[in-house]
Amino acid sequence: MTTDKFRSQLRQEVEVWRTEGIINDSQHEQLAQRYQFNTLDTSSRNLFVTVLIGLGCILIGLGIITFVASNWQELSKSFKVLLLLSLFVIVNTTGFYIWRKSNESSQRLGNGLLILGALTLGANMALMGQIYHVNNPFYELMLAWGIGVLAMAYSLRLTSLSMLAILLIWIGQWGFAINNLFDNSWLYQKLSWSSLLGEHMPILACIMFIPLAYLCKSRWIFAFSAIAIVSALMGNLYFYSYGIGRLFNLSTLQISGWAIALFFALPPILLWSYDDFRENRAISKSFKAISQNLALIYLAGIFYSFSFYSLWANLSRESSQTDLLKVNLFSLISLLVLILIGVWKWVRLGQKMTRHRPLRSQDLTTIVVGLMIGITALIPLWHTYIAPIPELATFAFNALLFLLSIGLMREGLTHGQRRAFWFGLLLLICRILNWFFLANTGLLIKSLVFVLCGVGVIAIGLWFEKYVRTFGNPTN
Amino acid sequence: MTQNEETRSPLPLWRFAVPLLLQIGLILVSPAQSVYTHATGKTVILQTIPVDPYDPLRGYSQTLSYDISRLETLKKLPGWQEISKQQKSKNVDYLESGTELYVVLESPPDGAKQPPLAWKPVKVSSSSPTSLPANQIALKGRGAANMIRYGLETYYFPESQQQEINQAIMQAQRGQKQSLVVEIKVNEGGYGVPVSLWVRDRNYRF
Repeated sequence: MTTDKFRSQLRQEVEVWRTEGIINDSQHEQLAQRYQFNTLDTSSRNLFVTVLIGLGCILIGLGIITFVASNWQELSKSFKVLLLLSLFVIVNTTGFYIWRKSNESSQRLGNGLLILGALTLGANMALMGQIYHVNNPFYELMLAWGIGVLAMAYSLRLTSLSMLAILLIWIGQWGFAINNLFDNSWLYQKLSWSSLLGEHMPILACIMFIPLAYLCKSRWIFAFSAIAIVSALMGNLYFYSYGIGRLFNLSTLQISGWAIALFFALPPILLWSYDDFRENRAISKSFKAISQNLALIYLAGIFYSFSFYSLWANLSRESSQTDLLKVNLFSLISLLVLILIGVWKWVRLGQKMTRHRPLRSQDLTTIVVGLMIGITALIPLWHTYIAPIPELATFAFNALLFLLSIGLMREGLTHGQRRAFWFGLLLLICRILNWFFLANTGLLIKSLVFVLCGVGVIAIGLWFEKYVRTFGNPTN
Repeated sequence: MTQNEETRSPLPLWRFAVPLLLQIGLILVSPAQSVYTHATGKTVILQTIPVDPYDPLRGYSQTLSYDISRLETLKKLPGWQEISKQQKSKNVDYLESGTELYVVLESPPDGAKQPPLAWKPVKVSSSSPTSLPANQIALKGRGAANMIRYGLETYYFPESQQQEINQAIMQAQRGQKQSLVVEIKVNEGGYGVPVSLWVRDRNYRF
């Protein structure tokens, strides 16, 4: 897709070429046809008109808001409600009718109005609470708002609204998790719509968000959903692990071992084994790639953050006992379903592998990733169940980090993938620098290491860039 | 473009109308319980704890805490022993977060006075009390850290009147204790909504 700016520059250049005789009139005509120089003026005019309309709408909106604000207190409650609702309906309906038109600029404007409508929904809900002095937690507002926007996103299949909905529900979920963490109220949580939604968010998010990515055929939505699902899982892990603790009557240390093992293993298990639905194979091949990339990034993050000794050393003390009998076991269903999905997916991966003999290179990668996940899950369990192994755990995580970064660099080299190569290199350098920062070494040695790292990065980077160019596959 | 190819032909209206109706439903359902309580509930007056004179109303809302929000108040009432026995911790000075309780309030003998007198808490129980006399009502609360929350803790008011209300509260608090009371409505389930603020003989209702 060429930009308007490029086309207008090209038009000027082409004029110069023709006057200088580099190209003849028919070639000029062909170029004009190809880059549609004749639509340049109208498209920039259209953009100008859109901007003007947008600006006008904002000003009118501000005018209405100030007018209402000046008399807001004198209005009766029901009139306020009526006013808010009609504003909401008008913005959305105008947006929908403009968006439905076939030309591109009005679709953009309509889309903008629909987003404004979605924001008005939140404003309406918040103001309603204020008018009637409702004391509900903030996360309930976010969850309800997100669900409202999600319904519209599903119906209109709009990427922008989908992203907004996922973001809102994501904020709501974290609000719920943090709220529960701080006053321990998850132990005494009364069953309500928001607690149900919050506790089962990992599985509900799969159901709510992933089909949307297919409907909108959007890789962005898929990536957002995957992140939202994983983070919902992370937010809820502590009460899932308390549930496990109640089931098997574990000590607090063992419970934290389970929490960390699940935290390490479950997201990459699910992300790596994600496969597309058959009907959408054509577009969703890319979904699988996104998911696997996210799994690798997640693993890299885990390896990096747990490659420090102090974290493991602190993890061998018992903390105060929580009353496990009050833990709600119902929320474990969500965890169980996810674990089952993960296991089933990996069994499928294994079956696929046995069908191809000899092993393909991506099968080999899968085996390595699987082993890495297995080790990360085993270490915290060993650490808390059998004997504390802070030194070994630190060593293992460092080794895994180096293995992963070397693997990424190798992958980058063999397939000429810039991003994989640089990510691996960055990971390696960061870890080495961190090592020397924390270690008790003299400034002179530190400076030497910095210089060596810098020289190394430049040398390897230059060599790689040259290699990639000669490799003849400079994309990606 | 942010939409896919299929939607290029005009979408049928219902594809927009159905989610819009759902959204309107969401907007209306959130204050429904408050509106219902407002319409059908019984009026009760609660004594507030005096607010800090140097840090009164801020922004658009006031965080109120009541006499019955304090554990010290509830601990003296009959029924408290029952509630604290059900807890794991044997500490009577502590209520586990999330523990539900009902506070029974009794109207003062001279109920029609202006400004109204605060209702007195007479007992607490862990379950909704049945067959209360006509001058009593139960309000539901939940333990939260070292206080009890009733969902009545936030009162929204216009910013323009902030100065005036602040002045009134500061003056009133120099005088007698009963200067700041809150009028609420309580439904049969024990759910309450704040209705208005009384600062001495002045009533602020938003």
